[in-house]
Amino acid sequence: MKTLKQFWAALFMIFLWAGSAPAYAALAVIVHPSNSMSGISADQAADIYLAKVGVFPNGKRAIPVDQASNNAARKKFYSAVIKKEESALRVYWSKLLFTGKGQPPREIGDDADLKSWVASNPDAIGYVDGKFVDSTVKVLLIIP
Amino acid sequence: MNKKLAAILCTSLAWQAFPARAATGLEGVSLSGFLTAGATYADKQLLTNSNAVSQDGSIENTPGFTADSRLGVQISAKVNSDVSLTAQLLAKAREDNSNTKVDWAFVTYRVNDPVSIRAGKLKFPSFLISDYYEVGYAYPWIRPPQEVYSLNPIAVQNGVDVLAKFRFSDLTLLLQPYYGTSRGATTIAPQETLSALGQPAGSVYSVGFTTDEYRGINVSLSSDIFTARLGYLTTRVNASSLGVFHDTAKFASAGITMDWHNVVFYSEVAKREIDGSANFAFPNQKASYATLGYRFGKWLPLYTTARISDNDNPKTLLGTPLKQSSKTLGLRYEVGSGAALKFEAQKITPEKGTRGLLIANPNGATVRDKGDDVMFYGITIDVVF
Repeated sequence: MKTLKQFWAALFMIFLWAGSAPAYAALAVIVHPSNSMSGISADQAADIYLAKVGVFPNGKRAIPVDQASNNAARKKFYSAVIKKEESALRVYWSKLLFTGKGQPPREIGDDADLKSWVASNPDAIGYVDGKFVDSTVKVLLIIP
Repeated sequence: MNKKLAAILCTSLAWQAFPARAATGLEGVSLSGFLTAGATYADKQLLTNSNAVSQDGSIENTPGFTADSRLGVQISAKVNSDVSLTAQLLAKAREDNSNTKVDWAFVTYRVNDPVSIRAGKLKFPSFLISDYYEVGYAYPWIRPPQEVYSLNPIAVQNGVDVLAKFRFSDLTLLLQPYYGTSRGATTIAPQETLSALGQPAGSVYSVGFTTDEYRGINVSLSSDIFTARLGYLTTRVNASSLGVFHDTAKFASAGITMDWHNVVFYSEVAKREIDGSANFAFPNQKASYATLGYRFGKWLPLYTTARISDNDNPKTLLGTPLKQSSKTLGLRYEVGSGAALKFEAQKITPEKGTRGLLIANPNGATVRDKGDDVMFYGITIDVVF
């Protein structure tokens, strides 16, 4: 009986691992190629995404964009960089949004959509699965 | 009528903006909103011919749905990279069965990264959560402690403010000076003024008022864990039906909120001083509250104690300061992301022979259930979208 339970538990773990496997791919924080920054820390990126600052550390305007809420890259970025729970984040944005003090980042579809948006907006900052990175964007941070 | 017109105008402007932007995927235009649906019950009847129990009559000795229910819709539009427009329409169930009015309507100009200027119809923050008072989802109680939040009935102003944000490592300092005037606002006449206004005791009667030179500053220091704030404002109040002209009103407040390792804490102290004949209707008062809660996953049980009392009211004036204390047990439950269910039981004790924030003193009740305390029960669901 006990071994059967262990078997099911093991099977469950395998499914769990298989289901979340794409999230292990490296995530790249990207900007427009004209951006003069050579790197950014996770904390600096989080400040931009939470509208605590509106500029890159070099003083240039920063416009953060998000992937749609169910995308793996977004989940990974929020758990590794923003580090706030979903409901805490909703409360945070409610306070800023409904008092006209800030807007959450705009949602731009998936990895491919976000990459092409960043590639055509000099102020943009975004994140994509590492395998979507090419010469049209510049990588400032890699989240393994 | 003017407000209705403005609402229609705003809505139609917004709808005109949508098709124009639709081609670019609504770039720069966003629609969001919040809703609270709630029910209340007060356990005692305080007046012979009325169910009204709270001083504004919205919480009654019968199950009621109008005290907390409301809907807000916000439209934001980016004009260019430095200029944006924000309009918020609000319908409160307690006001004429949900007449819609424009609660906010302003333009923001970003001067540089730390500094923005806003102009139009704005809500200046008298207290910690004054500017998002209508967004129930953003705070833990069903209603922010009324002892403090009833001190300033002036919510919306037409004017201008400056938001200046400065970063010091993990801390953000916000300086927000503001200036405005208010026209055509109403507030519930205190029970003590009803005979002077020729109204029967126990009526819920609105009086119109205006304010001039409404000016003040909001200073807050915040991190991921806490926000501490100080506020001061002064204005001149006019209310012709009460014979009030250019009486000075001053408000001072300090507050702190913290969310640290599942411990949730809020506390504020505030006082008001009002000169001249306005002091008769709105005497000098001071108030405070503290809320402590602990988050267990999706559940947040919390306890609040609050008090409103006399703030050295001048003896020569006849105004009656309202005095009460209250204790509230609350529970908030997160229903997924963007929705919260709240339950509250609140024990209100009027003090020193006054009615407190009730419509009448429970000791003076001529009907049933005599006693010092009144219980309010409430349940709400708060949603943001």
